[in-house]
Amino acid sequence: MVDWLTMTVQMVSLAMAGWCLVSTFRDQPMVVPHLVGMGVLWLLVLGQVAVSATAMIGGDMPTEPVMFVSYLATVALLPPACAVWGFMERSKWGPAVIAFACLILPVLFVRLEQLWNPVV
Amino acid sequence: MSETSAARTLRTGPGRVLVAVYAVFALAATARGGFQLATKFHEAPLAYTLSLIAGVIYLVAAIGLARAGRTSRLVALVSCTIEAVGVLVVGAASVFWPAVFPDDTVWSNFGSGYLFIPLVLPALGLWWILRVHRMDRD
Repeated sequence: MVDWLTMTVQMVSLAMAGWCLVSTFRDQPMVVPHLVGMGVLWLLVLGQVAVSATAMIGGDMPTEPVMFVSYLATVALLPPACAVWGFMERSKWGPAVIAFACLILPVLFVRLEQLWNPVV
Repeated sequence: MSETSAARTLRTGPGRVLVAVYAVFALAATARGGFQLATKFHEAPLAYTLSLIAGVIYLVAAIGLARAGRTSRLVALVSCTIEAVGVLVVGAASVFWPAVFPDDTVWSNFGSGYLFIPLVLPALGLWWILRVHRMDRD
């Protein structure tokens, strides 16, 4: 895993969460800029997934590969799944879904980093 | 008539967030329980089986809330009740008899490992289902 990429994902994710919470409290539904933001976040996540997968194929295995891969699959699927589910809702609760997902994502990345590089 | 207005309401608005949270918890608990059962069943069979069962119940609740028909609402109601009882019983058991659960589950210590969301979630779920249910009856 690339550290700065993880950091970037976490920052962008928290920023998205903040933005979506503001939208929720302002009673606004999800709009296209929200989707673009999620798209950018998803690309960053996929970048990290690709880098990690390449490192694993190259022999740089985490200690619990099955666990690591399942977390990797989860972070790869979470942004699009929540974006679709939130965009279907044409009320302020749409951004609320995205905000929730964007708060979970950084936590998942902390777990991924722990699995990749366990601190004894 | 295929869908009542209450059925639509159940999965829209706050219900949509509820389904998203339930889905994430279903995934987390099922994956955790399944993984632990597959790799180290003998260390704490009860805790791991419980994690898996909790995950499946979350999944059933999420689907019940998302499908939102009359029957699905009942399914969601039952599964939310089981969750509420589960998190209270397992939470209390893990506090008073820690030896029973050598390894953590989603419900251990009232869900403290998951920001106490497992404790709040069934309450929110039940409140939401009953609210929509009342609306349907009127």
